[in-house]
Amino acid sequence: MKEEILDLEVEAAKARLLVLRMLRTGQSGHLGGALSCLDILTALYFRTMNVDPENPTDPRRDRFLLSAGHKAMAQYAVLARRGYFAEDLLDSYGGFQSRLAGHPDMHKLPGVEANTGALGHGLAIASGMALGLRLDGSDGRVFTLLGDGELPEGSNWEGASIAAHHQLNNLVAFVDVNDLQISGPTAEVMNMEPIADKFAAFGWTVRTIDGNDMSNIVLALDDTPLSSSAPTAIIARTIKAKGIRHLEGTAGSHYWKPSAAELDAAEDELRQQLSTIAGKVGTH
Amino acid sequence: MSTLIDPRKTFGEAVTELAEHDDRIVVLSADSGGSSGFGMFRKLYPDRYFEFGIQEHGVTGVAAGLATTGRVPVFAAIAAFVTNRNYEAFRNDVAYMGQNVKIIGRNGGMTYSDLGPTHYSLEDYAIIRMLPGVVVLSPQDPGEIRAAVEAMISHDGPVYMRIGGPLIPDLFPQEPFTIGKGRIIRAGDRATLISTGTLTGQVILAADQLASNGIEVELIGMPTVEPIDTDLIVSSAARTGHVITIEEHYVRGGLSAAVAETIGQLSIRHDSIGLPHQHVTTGTYAGLLEHYGLDAKGLHDQIQGLLTSDLNPQLDDVDHSLPHDGIFDLDRA
Repeated sequence: MKEEILDLEVEAAKARLLVLRMLRTGQSGHLGGALSCLDILTALYFRTMNVDPENPTDPRRDRFLLSAGHKAMAQYAVLARRGYFAEDLLDSYGGFQSRLAGHPDMHKLPGVEANTGALGHGLAIASGMALGLRLDGSDGRVFTLLGDGELPEGSNWEGASIAAHHQLNNLVAFVDVNDLQISGPTAEVMNMEPIADKFAAFGWTVRTIDGNDMSNIVLALDDTPLSSSAPTAIIARTIKAKGIRHLEGTAGSHYWKPSAAELDAAEDELRQQLSTIAGKVGTH
Repeated sequence: MSTLIDPRKTFGEAVTELAEHDDRIVVLSADSGGSSGFGMFRKLYPDRYFEFGIQEHGVTGVAAGLATTGRVPVFAAIAAFVTNRNYEAFRNDVAYMGQNVKIIGRNGGMTYSDLGPTHYSLEDYAIIRMLPGVVVLSPQDPGEIRAAVEAMISHDGPVYMRIGGPLIPDLFPQEPFTIGKGRIIRAGDRATLISTGTLTGQVILAADQLASNGIEVELIGMPTVEPIDTDLIVSSAARTGHVITIEEHYVRGGLSAAVAETIGQLSIRHDSIGLPHQHVTTGTYAGLLEHYGLDAKGLHDQIQGLLTSDLNPQLDDVDHSLPHDGIFDLDRA
């Protein structure tokens, strides 16, 4: 298990570097949220989800959709690492007619299951997918990830009521709680705490984890579904811009437009992290 | 007088019949299934009938998700709510995602005449036809509803269909429905009338009256608002030289606009009959049609006025300068 966790951490570290690679060509993007949720996406695609990058539309597959669509760079990086497409494609990020826009498009990129970007849509779409899979008698599961900043959108709570009422135990929703949104701390912009209690009150089974701790994420995912008669919510406490020390926990990292020098420095930092983690592989 | 039929019942029966041989069809209800004619569907196919309570945005998202798994979700509720309340889900989850979802707005137009503007849909054609790739249907009689349901289910892509609520007569023998095609209901050369939805029943009566006075107009029934039947419009308009659009919808943005976009380059006169751009008033449905000149007599008079004058005749009872029709300022009531 320890080795597996380390391998996942290596993958996450490599994916973080790919996020910076996208910024190299795209020049700006939603960095903070991409890095806060990236460990979760790594665990999902490399361990938990039953997916086959060679056959990305297999009807029996598990689905992931990114309700917080602006964190797309995280998904693109992990999809590329997982082998859905060549990493070179990341260099087109944000370009003219690119397959990789600032928000994901299911018709442009294999592995993307929904067109998200407008916030508060993921839970309802995911619930529809979960209902459809259950109706088919499929073992397929549906995973989605929301940001804490999107929770004030009322449509989330429509989705939350649907998933609970229809007892969608094949649905797992992460909430990436990095405590920050573009204007500042979520607690000040619009306080949605206690988030875990809100989901529980809607009828979800809830667990709270450290969403940047790979073993924490893996243990929680291995336990899912947490209930046979309710959807699972995993409230992931995370750090915005996780991995780039001077940006961590800053609202300014929400949408980052770095200079070349800033990008170089961030890349050095992430490379160092990668080599530190990679150095541990095989020593345990 | 033929038998009068409940369009919602007709619609629900048509979907239920198709569902027998098409298990992709699932019905979604926002506390709206029973009143959308799905009582029998629910009884026959309980596993394919999903209730969500009153939440149109959430249900539209669910519909998109279900469609990604190969289902054909049919979601029917009050037209005002399945076009306005859920607009962003309709736009992004259904249209942008290109999902095979069918959304039906019942009690469209001002058929919920006593319930007021919250329950009217007089902008649905306009706002839904702005969503690329979404077909907008407004069938005109029970047979056309049945045929349009079949075409809607066969069509691989998002569809919005408006139906009414009050009882309606059969206007035509039932024929297969082709999305994007209008039909010439009456041939004539004095002008081209183009109408959509169940209001066509009133237009036919008005055209009959005109004919009895020796005025032969061409009447095109246009049950597809998007994509509009450009060829039919252009060929008829070129022949008659005068187009009059008629709809139970604001004169802005809907059928009138679609036709104007079609013939705008042709220097052909086009007049629009519909609802003034106001929060319209309440009353009986027949009373509202009369008030806004959309009953057979009002249509006859308006059309005759247009054919004999260069100006669009104003309705006597309606003050177009105000955003509201009827009592608005309590102090002045």
